[in-house]
Amino acid sequence: MIQINNLSFSFAAAEIFSDLNFSVSRGEILSIIGPNGCGKSTLLRLLRGSLKIQTGEVLWEKTPVEKIPPREMARRVAVVPQSTTIPFPYKVRELVAMGRYPHRKNLLSFQDKSDLYAIEQALVMTDILPLAERPVTQLSGGELQRVLLARALAQNSSVLFLDEATSHLDIDHRLELTELLVRLNREQQTTIVQISHDLDLAAAISQRILLLTEHGKIAEIGIPKKVMTAANLQRIFRVDVKVNSNPFTGTPQIVPLINCSAHQLNGLKIHLICGGGSGKTLLRRLHLTQAETTAGPLNQGDSDEAVATTLNIPVAQEVPFNPFSESTLLKAKKLIDQTGVLVITTQWWGEGNLPCLDLAEKAIRQGIAVYLLAQQREQDFTEGKAWGKIQQLQQQGAKTIRNEEHLFEELAQQLIV
Amino acid sequence: MALKPWLKLSIQILNLMNRPKKENKRRLWQLLLLLSPLLATLISLSAGSLDLPWNKLFAILRQGPGSDVEQVIIWQIRFPRALLAGLVGAALSLSGVTFQAVLRNPLADPYLLGVSGGAALGAVTALTCGIQSPIVIPLAAFVGALTALLLVYLVAQAHTCSSHTLILSGVMIGSLAAALLLFLLWRAPADATRQAIFWLAGNLSLADPDWLSWGWLWVIIGFLLLWSQSLNLDLLTQGEETAADLGLNVGRTRLILFTLAGALTACAVSLAGLVGFVGLVIPHICRLLWGPGHRLLLPFSALLGSTFLIIADAIARSLYAPAEIPVGVVTALLGAPFFLYLLRRKGGDL
Repeated sequence: MIQINNLSFSFAAAEIFSDLNFSVSRGEILSIIGPNGCGKSTLLRLLRGSLKIQTGEVLWEKTPVEKIPPREMARRVAVVPQSTTIPFPYKVRELVAMGRYPHRKNLLSFQDKSDLYAIEQALVMTDILPLAERPVTQLSGGELQRVLLARALAQNSSVLFLDEATSHLDIDHRLELTELLVRLNREQQTTIVQISHDLDLAAAISQRILLLTEHGKIAEIGIPKKVMTAANLQRIFRVDVKVNSNPFTGTPQIVPLINCSAHQLNGLKIHLICGGGSGKTLLRRLHLTQAETTAGPLNQGDSDEAVATTLNIPVAQEVPFNPFSESTLLKAKKLIDQTGVLVITTQWWGEGNLPCLDLAEKAIRQGIAVYLLAQQREQDFTEGKAWGKIQQLQQQGAKTIRNEEHLFEELAQQLIV
Repeated sequence: MALKPWLKLSIQILNLMNRPKKENKRRLWQLLLLLSPLLATLISLSAGSLDLPWNKLFAILRQGPGSDVEQVIIWQIRFPRALLAGLVGAALSLSGVTFQAVLRNPLADPYLLGVSGGAALGAVTALTCGIQSPIVIPLAAFVGALTALLLVYLVAQAHTCSSHTLILSGVMIGSLAAALLLFLLWRAPADATRQAIFWLAGNLSLADPDWLSWGWLWVIIGFLLLWSQSLNLDLLTQGEETAADLGLNVGRTRLILFTLAGALTACAVSLAGLVGFVGLVIPHICRLLWGPGHRLLLPFSALLGSTFLIIADAIARSLYAPAEIPVGVVTALLGAPFFLYLLRRKGGDL
């Protein structure tokens, strides 16, 4: 029904999408998921032609989207926006009536029988009939969201776009509206494309799920079971999750693995060897656990250095774009001498930061616990020198850790020891 | 059969009588509003330096125009003046409603987008060039106003821009015009400056009567065209994107609304100078009283706006008669407290 070919889009210099290819079939529920800022709302805008397409094409039953006039488009697709402020106190019924605009015959009002019927039905289905005479400026976020959905329903279109339309709702109305969407889909074959952050609910009702990466590429599209895998979610959202199957419905269910008790590390002294942004998440999280963190050597202006300085974490600093000097390395060594744990992040290795691995070796000899976050051979640019040293460290007792979650578990262990 | 419409009408009247009391009361208010400009005109005709009691006023009105002093005062001075006040009040209220809706900003008024600056610049340029003709000055102001609006529209690329960009561009063009205006006034001879300041404060006595009928024609056509856009106005208050999603051609509608509101403001400004406050507060009062739906808001604002300015002018003329207070003083003194009262009564909800 909607065919997307080679769609690319950029805002100013930043590319949002490149080369998207997929289609929405008639009568399906398609959920778009992905991290914040990956362009989900932009994609929805491009699909309905409210943003101008730069390259590629969007076809609605073989008609290019830019050839469809606004009124015709509004008869085809209704949109429930994320949230909106309405500066003037229209009554709920008046606002819902605006959904009849694309169908109007009269210049001044919607007094047609079919209009009144559609408005009334929309009010009833979204459970806002009691609010019908209230001004919209006095509604709560959840009530307003239901009003906006009612307006979309009054539009009587065969396609419904929802941009996080259930995000402000309490669980009661969220489930009820989800049921309503499913019913519309089953009974009237309404095609539904929704952006959702409720992964479980999306998995439960969607025929297909479109998972976008942070850089606006399609990570995976297909049935929920295929897309909602622990590996996919870990890769895209960078969280540790397990995916179970819901014992009652059999649909995928995401179980986040956060062990909060492991995240109190006050008293533990940790030194971090990082660089080029490889340590900024860890620095922030360590700061939250109240561990006594130090870092370095780092060049000034390195994004890790910026984070550490902002968080008042002591850093052995080097001037920008210079290899680490003797004195800087000595400063770093002094910091390491005072800690109990040394962590080396997953980073790129070059001649510049190669001396850091020597620091680690010295630390092991002093009996400091050294942890290596999963290193990769492809990230070695020293013709094997760094990789050799890493292997040597491992032989000497440095532990390799798969990801940050496991590191925190290990660190908690350290604290007990 | 010819009976059918009559039957329909009588059923409607019956329905009207059977309405619940609250509904009836509202109808009564609306009827009163419909007649209010007429009543206001009568009050305005009797008020002024020469106080005319009602019975005398009606006698003169029955006599029609003539050469008698009182006849001249009523028919040639006060009546055109009331007509002008009504015209200006209606035009400014209508364009205030439109700008507030299109810009989604309750603080918008007809002068926000540089229209006032442009008009003033046009009029004062004509005045400092030594032109005194009451035919030419309104024309110069009119051209100035529309030029300013056109500039704002082009600079902001108003077809696609956000309402914030539009407001900022308008304020900037307005400031530019104000700076040029100050420069002109500084250079101008004292006589022209005095006249210009008189004009800038808003004045309902300057207009040439020949312009009046043209002005009214302009306002009535403007109103009808605006009224035909009332659903589009409702949609635009929901924001550009939502309006487009609901099927509105936003760029085209904006252009139409701008042209109409701009033309109405330009008409009012060129005939009466910068009468303040009416275009800001009348739309709000009407919205508080009858809700934000533009189908009713537009005609009610026009009616209330003209009534309000006719009364304000009558007060301005009679309070310190034979001297005149600037009408802007009266509009603000009357309008602001009333507006605040309504705001409080409705719980501060615009």
